[in-house]
Amino acid sequence: MQASPSATGASPTAFQRRSQLYRRHLDLDAAFADYEGVLAVAAYADPRVERALAERLGLADLSTWPRSGCAGPNAPQWLADAGRQPPNRPNKAVAQEDGGLIARLSEQEFLILQGLEADPGLFAALQGNWPSDAAESVHPLPHADSHCWLALSGALASEALAKLCAVDLSSRSFGLCDVAQTSLARVNAIILRQDLGATPCFHILSDASSAEYLWDALVDAMREFGGAPVGLEALRTLKLRDRPSESFSPTERHPRIQPRKAP
Amino acid sequence: MAFGLLKYGFRKRYPAKPQFTPSGTTLKKRYDVVIIGAGAHGAGIAHELAKSHGIRNVALLDKGYLGGGNTARNTAVLRSNYLTEEGVAFYRQSLKLFQGLSNELNYNIMLENRGQLTLAHSDAAIRSFRWRAEVNQHLGVRSELVDRQTIRELVPQLNLSEDVRYPILAGLWHADAATARHDAIVWGYARSACEQGVELHQRTAVQAVEVTNGAVHAVKTNRGRIACGCVVQAVAGSSSIVAKMAGIRLPIHSYPLQAMVTQPYKPLLKPHVSSPHLHVYTHQTSRGEFVIGGGSDPYPRYGSRATLEQKEALSSAILQLLPFLAQAKVLRQWAGTTDMTPDYSPIMGLSPVRNYHLDAGWGTWGFKATPICAKTMAELVATGKPPELIQPFALERFYRFEQINEAGATAAGH
Amino acid sequence: MKLLNCPLNGPRNIAEFTYGGELRPMPDPAATDAQQWAEHLFFPDNGAGIVTEWWCHTATAYWFLAQRNTLTDEVIRTFPPSEVFKQGRKLAGKDGGEKS
Repeated sequence: MQASPSATGASPTAFQRRSQLYRRHLDLDAAFADYEGVLAVAAYADPRVERALAERLGLADLSTWPRSGCAGPNAPQWLADAGRQPPNRPNKAVAQEDGGLIARLSEQEFLILQGLEADPGLFAALQGNWPSDAAESVHPLPHADSHCWLALSGALASEALAKLCAVDLSSRSFGLCDVAQTSLARVNAIILRQDLGATPCFHILSDASSAEYLWDALVDAMREFGGAPVGLEALRTLKLRDRPSESFSPTERHPRIQPRKAP
Repeated sequence: MAFGLLKYGFRKRYPAKPQFTPSGTTLKKRYDVVIIGAGAHGAGIAHELAKSHGIRNVALLDKGYLGGGNTARNTAVLRSNYLTEEGVAFYRQSLKLFQGLSNELNYNIMLENRGQLTLAHSDAAIRSFRWRAEVNQHLGVRSELVDRQTIRELVPQLNLSEDVRYPILAGLWHADAATARHDAIVWGYARSACEQGVELHQRTAVQAVEVTNGAVHAVKTNRGRIACGCVVQAVAGSSSIVAKMAGIRLPIHSYPLQAMVTQPYKPLLKPHVSSPHLHVYTHQTSRGEFVIGGGSDPYPRYGSRATLEQKEALSSAILQLLPFLAQAKVLRQWAGTTDMTPDYSPIMGLSPVRNYHLDAGWGTWGFKATPICAKTMAELVATGKPPELIQPFALERFYRFEQINEAGATAAGH
Repeated sequence: MKLLNCPLNGPRNIAEFTYGGELRPMPDPAATDAQQWAEHLFFPDNGAGIVTEWWCHTATAYWFLAQRNTLTDEVIRTFPPSEVFKQGRKLAGKDGGEKS
């Protein structure tokens, strides 16, 4: 079931919960939308332009989108009992049936990301079920207020990230559902790869207090590749496509960028 | 002239009188005092022992060569704007002695009174500078808090733009600060000591210290055993290693500190400039080079290898202060080992081993303490009692939990 | 840049790590006098050669141990603390924890 924006043109200040980046979005004349109580940027420009951008290189702010986490010796079992599929080793993620992701950050720590098309309301069910008893050996780690959540999509996403991150995030060494916890533009970040259809996409979670800095650093790094911010709707449409649109070719618009030869 | 040069060139023997003990001089079986480490401190102690106390049967040993350790590697900043009463009193006295050192040694140490400007980039730093200025003035040291206009007048080259990550808000001006030629100080001291009968033995490494019944009575070197009445260790950068030979543990972590110099420029920067916040400090040497230093490495290590990361950090910080250095070429770069104590104060005086005296824990503040250290340590050797000025710096303070928290110790950190 | 091999995250730039001091046994608080505490707190070994020390990968706040030669700065090996500390500390729980 896909949640659709019920009220496009929503004003961020009318919501109790806003992204740390909402002033950046206002500056870009973003169209905000209300996704069942969650405020997010639907788009900044025409949907077709945004989709093309997202296929090439787009940056979306998902900071208000639901996420959570848990930790403790009993966390894997608890997640399995809750009907989720926890990854079996650290720095791996598993795509969930609802389209979300669960990443294992260490032996005993997990991060849960809500799928982009899932109903945000459904997440509340999990949130409401945390054990309150310490003897359960599992405790919640919400991640909602501590981290910002950005998604960098497009064929050139790993090229742009290479300017800011020492870990090789290209397809050769960083596959689907891989997780890297490292330094990105000199701030700590959790980077997860979950492609949207055929388009590579990296989820980035980083300290909320430096969200504006990281956003600006990423936008700056994307500029030479012709990348720009995109709304949630563009990512959602990508997910429905299983191959890139035929008109797209990285070299066509930017002669400086050569397609990489297959290894 | 040309004829004289030719004559000089054809001489069989080096015509000048050797300034130090000639190499190849055999070691005696016994010395009254053995000083381990022929740096500025060791040579200074030897000079003072001979001159002020008439103790001349002294061996000054070094595993390398004279002044080849941290004496050669420090960035030659002389200042006394410390924060604790003990620290200010000690370094103030040291600076006073530096003023008369060229005359005393009959050796030009090239002392230049430059002044030092320490920069504040935050309200917290301004508060701490005000505190330091008050303490300094109370103890007779010239320190004052200065505003941006005064900074502009003192150092017109500084980037006072507000459009940088850490704009300069205020400064601590320390008019007493100076610089001197580090090599000249150790050479002058050693020459004077040797003239008075002290023997300098280079390439003589101490390999073991003989301690019986809690007292030291000999050291073993690569050139044989030397019996002695007393040992002074003055080996900044290797303090823990040497003390361990005598069975003494020291409260020291050894970190590298890296520095570099640029190509020479015409004289354009008179004072020392330092920024604790940006972890960088600089001054222009009398040769015209900008010598640039910073904070210690992020983890302990022995050895003097420099790293690219620290050089990048130094460069990016100094370019915020003096953007014109973007064009400069780095001529030399190096690292020295700093023996950091938990309270940023030195360890001077008696040790748990009788007649084994410590001159250690000199972190980033050793060079500027040279003359006062020479005087006080020599007095300790001669009388067996630490002079009042260095009593607070005894090793024992760590067992009494009476550390001297010297927050004004380093140019890079508060 | 120098690389350090994190047992959890693999090889990473040394800038991602924080040095955490020598590995030293913790004295028994019940049988330790002031002098021994002072030695434990202030007097490190500061050895020249191969030492075992704590490091933290800051992006994950993961603490581990490394054997490093302090003369050459060569890292011999890195390993999880569970190799040394077989028994983890007990978490304050329903039965073991303090009642408030």
